Amino acid sequence: MTETATRIPTSLAAVRERIAGQSSSNRALLLMAPLLAFELLVFVIPFFILLRISVAESSPDFVYAEGTVSLEAYASVLTSDLVWSIVGYSFLIGVIVTVLSVFIGLFYAYAIWRSTGLIKSLLLFSVVLPLLTTLVIRTYAFQPLLSPTGTINELLLSLGLLSEPIAFYPGTVAVVIGQLYIVLPYAVLAIYSVLATMDWHVVEAARDLGASRPRSILEVVVPQAMPGIIVATVISFAWSVGSYAAPGVLSNNLTFAIQVEDMMYGMRYPEAGAFSVLMLLLMLACIAVIFTVLNRFGGEFDLA
Amino acid sequence: MSEITLSELEKQYGDTTAVEDVSVDIRDGELLCLLGPSGSGKSTTLRMIAGLEEPTSGQITIDGIDVTAQSAYERNTSTVFQDWALFPHKTVLENVAFGLKMRDVPKEQRRERAESMLERVQMGGYGDEDPTNLSGGQKQRVALARSLAVNPDVLLLDEPLSNLDKRLREDMQIELREIHEDVEETFVHVTHDQDEAFTLADRIGIMNEGKLIQVGEPTEVYENPANRFIEGFLGDTNFVESEVVRVTDDAAYVETELGYELVLPSDGAPDVAEGTELTLSLRPEVLSIEQDAAADAVEGHEQPVLADGSTVNAVVGTVENVLYRGSTVRYSVSVNGTSMFAERTGTNTGALTAGDEIRIEWEGTDVLAFRPDGSRVTL
Repeated sequence: MTETATRIPTSLAAVRERIAGQSSSNRALLLMAPLLAFELLVFVIPFFILLRISVAESSPDFVYAEGTVSLEAYASVLTSDLVWSIVGYSFLIGVIVTVLSVFIGLFYAYAIWRSTGLIKSLLLFSVVLPLLTTLVIRTYAFQPLLSPTGTINELLLSLGLLSEPIAFYPGTVAVVIGQLYIVLPYAVLAIYSVLATMDWHVVEAARDLGASRPRSILEVVVPQAMPGIIVATVISFAWSVGSYAAPGVLSNNLTFAIQVEDMMYGMRYPEAGAFSVLMLLLMLACIAVIFTVLNRFGGEFDLA
Repeated sequence: MSEITLSELEKQYGDTTAVEDVSVDIRDGELLCLLGPSGSGKSTTLRMIAGLEEPTSGQITIDGIDVTAQSAYERNTSTVFQDWALFPHKTVLENVAFGLKMRDVPKEQRRERAESMLERVQMGGYGDEDPTNLSGGQKQRVALARSLAVNPDVLLLDEPLSNLDKRLREDMQIELREIHEDVEETFVHVTHDQDEAFTLADRIGIMNEGKLIQVGEPTEVYENPANRFIEGFLGDTNFVESEVVRVTDDAAYVETELGYELVLPSDGAPDVAEGTELTLSLRPEVLSIEQDAAADAVEGHEQPVLADGSTVNAVVGTVENVLYRGSTVRYSVSVNGTSMFAERTGTNTGALTAGDEIRIEWEGTDVLAFRPDGSRVTL
């Protein structure tokens, strides 16, 4: 009697343990399988194709010379002043748009978090609304708004704030505004998702202990929102540096994506590949720096 | 140490009035408990003192200075929140030093002060911990240290013990009492727990439906409740409905739902008229149980007035069930179909079981009576 009584729980526990052990590794792998297959198919394999093309010679007959190995594309990309000025301009757009989108996104997300009822719904809806229109149409909409004869110039002129129209479009100002409009909803949602889990009493406690409004936000809200801020920063930065629609539609300036397209139209696939690999490496370095800096900022904000 | 005066404080959210006409002088160095059921406006009152909530009207002064228009960060008050609200991204020491940092105290000094505050609440050595790893009781201590570190004019405690289990809560009550005596500051403590208020408070302010009904020392509010709500809220009691049938120079006679006529003796003529409906409160601690009910049955349901003027009232009933509660035993008793309860200490349980007939007696002067509007009848 006693023997069976003790044996049953032991074997049950063992079985349960075995199930638990299996599920943690196998089930996780199984659940990730579709995603891994997708990543492999549309990202990893194409990337290796791109890498292969980038180390091929160019050919007058085809987009690249098959079967050849050469670093001539890299040499031409790395020594080109045009390429480096394009890199500089792309990163400049990226930095400006990222700073603006994270800054505005933080305040917008804070406003959503603190509002209630109808106002909260309206604020949230207005973030999601732009995502319902396609990106290109949204971007084209800035042409009539920002052109020298456009709505904004007319408004400023009629208010007497301007004596002659400014050509926001085509140009860098239009690119920044257009790209900001593209990434801002994602920045807001990334930060809001973190704020929504935060305890408002913590902010009240900071104020209660003598922190002014701006100080309580800096001391308590920003460090806790840091995971969201990091996501918002990476999305904004990566998307803006590599943006194609905004500079293409709202300026005549050359950015990375547009230059790569030009190279491809010029049948210079190896150079386009080399430029892409260069940009990828630069982006990876930047994102590593962003993570390190922001993590430290959020981790130990200041010593007591 | 500071004196706080609330005058005609009022708070409205849209159409609902959360706090109505609250006026009280909080004395220098006292521990005042605001006691009331949830939704009674006690937390809102506390938050208005802290400056976290703006009063719709009324005035708050601290040491004679009107602080009504000041924001929370301008006032030298500090709050211990119900969920403690520790900063999750800061260490325990950084949490405690936060208020000092906001007051621009130099780094070395605030570290010293924070460490000594942690010692004071028996959390020395926990300075480098992550507050999210602490237990409820430890979080509670850190929150207390954080609030005390800034030397506030008044420490405001918003049900800080309600998230702790019973044993820990009782220990913390005693410790809080000791800390209060030690730091000699004015404390305002909000709670819905009567026992906690009685354990902690120098004075208790009882709130209901946004109003402050009565402020007084624990014995005063317990023995002299201003109205029926307080009588019911402060402890378990038997409310018995009755109607005045006769009024004499020194007593009122009431016919009760128990089926007995009872006497309410009074100093001079009682302030009630014949026909007035009264609710009587028979607290378990004034009731005594006589077991040999059959032998001493109350004859004709008339109550005797003794020679010395005291009046013993008695009713006979049947024990319906026995509830053993550790230190006491509670008996539900049916008296002519109406049920009431009486208690005995656990060691004095005798052999009462369901179905026994017993006599319940009490001194007539121990009964409190309330009018239908809840106000107390002076007897």
